[in-house]
Amino acid sequence: MTQVQTPAPRAAEQHDREVRPHGKTPLYKRERPLWMLLPGGVLMLAVIVVPLLVGVFIAMLDLDQYTLRQWFSAPFIGFANFAEAFTDSPLLHSIWISASLSVLVTAVTVPIGVAAAISTQNRFPGRGLVRSIYLIPYVLPAFVVGTFFRTMLQPQGVVNSILHTDVLWLNGSASYWALAGVMVWTSWPFVYLLSLAGLQAVDNEVHEAAALDGVTWWAKLRYIIFPYLRGPLSLAVIIAILHNINNFTLPFVLFGIPLPSSVEVMPVLTYIASFQSFRFGLSAAMAICSLVIVAIPLFVYLRAVKLDTGDDAGPDRKQRRADRRTLAAATPAAAADIDGARA
Amino acid sequence: MSAFTTTRTRPTATLTESITAGGGGRRHKRPYDTDVTRLLPRWLLITVIAVIIAFIAVPVLYILFGSVNSDVAVARGEYFPSEFTLSNYVNIWSTVALGQGLVNSMLTAGAVAVASAALAVSTAYVLVRFRFLGRLTILRGLLALQSIPGTLLLLPVFVVFSNIASATGVQIIGTRWGLFVTYLTFALPFSTWVMVTYLRGLPKELEEAARIDGASSTKILTKIVLPLSWPGIVVSAIFAFLLGWNDVLFSTIMTTPNTRTVAVVLQVLGTTQEGGAVPIYGQMMAASIVCAVPVVALYLIFQRYLVGGLTAGSVK
Repeated sequence: MTQVQTPAPRAAEQHDREVRPHGKTPLYKRERPLWMLLPGGVLMLAVIVVPLLVGVFIAMLDLDQYTLRQWFSAPFIGFANFAEAFTDSPLLHSIWISASLSVLVTAVTVPIGVAAAISTQNRFPGRGLVRSIYLIPYVLPAFVVGTFFRTMLQPQGVVNSILHTDVLWLNGSASYWALAGVMVWTSWPFVYLLSLAGLQAVDNEVHEAAALDGVTWWAKLRYIIFPYLRGPLSLAVIIAILHNINNFTLPFVLFGIPLPSSVEVMPVLTYIASFQSFRFGLSAAMAICSLVIVAIPLFVYLRAVKLDTGDDAGPDRKQRRADRRTLAAATPAAAADIDGARA
Repeated sequence: MSAFTTTRTRPTATLTESITAGGGGRRHKRPYDTDVTRLLPRWLLITVIAVIIAFIAVPVLYILFGSVNSDVAVARGEYFPSEFTLSNYVNIWSTVALGQGLVNSMLTAGAVAVASAALAVSTAYVLVRFRFLGRLTILRGLLALQSIPGTLLLLPVFVVFSNIASATGVQIIGTRWGLFVTYLTFALPFSTWVMVTYLRGLPKELEEAARIDGASSTKILTKIVLPLSWPGIVVSAIFAFLLGWNDVLFSTIMTTPNTRTVAVVLQVLGTTQEGGAVPIYGQMMAASIVCAVPVVALYLIFQRYLVGGLTAGSVK
């Protein structure tokens, strides 16, 4: 319904949000059980918001294991931790490793995920089984995946014995490619899931029109199917980048501490700074820097996602966001990164 | 069928089929012409599926084979076991405290699943069905909170918890309660978002009718919304469970050897055994499988809800 909204009702809406365009009685205006928001709200305040503020404060303290118990009386040193993080720590190196790794991995997973989704779109005997198998890498916990790849990549391990090489996958520069490979292996089904959602938006009429025009399979994919996938895929790319940057479990389990310097990713660097070298202030400063890095894809993500159903948003807004609908639909699946958004 | 039911059932009689049927029912030469929705020619379809399955299967079969192989043979780099043994599955329980870890993980993650589903339903209900100031901010906040790196919060949470301990004398770090509260909070934004999308799909009319009959909001929630939203509840509970089960970051710091979750037990086993004279890779593979089984089982049982509940319904 693309009726043009006149300025008058919009002004009215601003005064009273309860007024619906189609004049329904605002039944739910009365007796709103807002107290139900309390338990969740209190928890998030206590475990996310308060620690976040504490973290900002700690970043400005010279805090180590001796002052931790009385952390609020530790010496206040302003931005010295941030200065040290940038000039005298591997932070910049880590940012580069994390960012390049997550972009590289995401770029490799997209074609695999799309191919997988296309290959199970049509019915064939055993399709359900194939789809179940496709999800295995995603379902396995990251710590399990890390453990068995760690075994496979040992110097005497099965990867070297099959390839007839003796590469040190868990040390030195090859470890970067080892980590990238394992991340690709575990994360591509996420792209697959979102592509699958996108393919379902293709109506039968579209297929019929293509068949009548006699297009080849490649032309059909390239010019008809792929455009449908653009929305879900851009969402998948943003979220995959976010999750790859935040991935702690896989490098931690795969390489252990200390990490080879070519895979010293941000989450593990922050972890080492606080719980191995006990430089708590420096670690908090690093964590805040990493949040700033993560904020870039996060901002794009929040802009892209439609928060409300068309019923709640005004008509012109609905119009503007119509093309983003498939995108929003896929959101929950998107966030469902099994190996943990923050793991 | 335990298979996915996310794809819409398409009308089987397609346009091309009816055209060819009208043409005398002779068999068409090109196989992919029989179904207009077909995306790939048969040879390519088979190739793609075979390549992807091989890509998945090689490492997965490696753990399966490794878990029934001897420790030494796995360390030598054997893929297929030259001798078959189940002793890894027997020995692993005495090598490390795997059983204790499983119990800890089950208790923590299970409690998180139940609590977060309960909280998510009531929060989502308010967010979907009522309008109030700050509603959109909360919705946006739910998405943003999911993306905050855990490493950012680990240290402050640790500091806050240890300060509570020194102020009140209640020890939180090292107990299952500390992990429970932390995981619950991190699971809540996503669980709530799952419920928000699910509740949006439920018709309002039932609740309106109940309200006209004089039911209170609490009554509507428990008697009408709850029974209708089981699939959504299952999904949000399972994802909360997985968050607790799969976490390594918080449980390495916030547990003692007695309260360690199974993820940390396995991680510690992986890093300590390499220093030993005899590597126990076979047992590690067996332990990996033991850790993965509950998760894979959950998926197989609830596959339809998990994939269907998240993507279908909300897709136009």
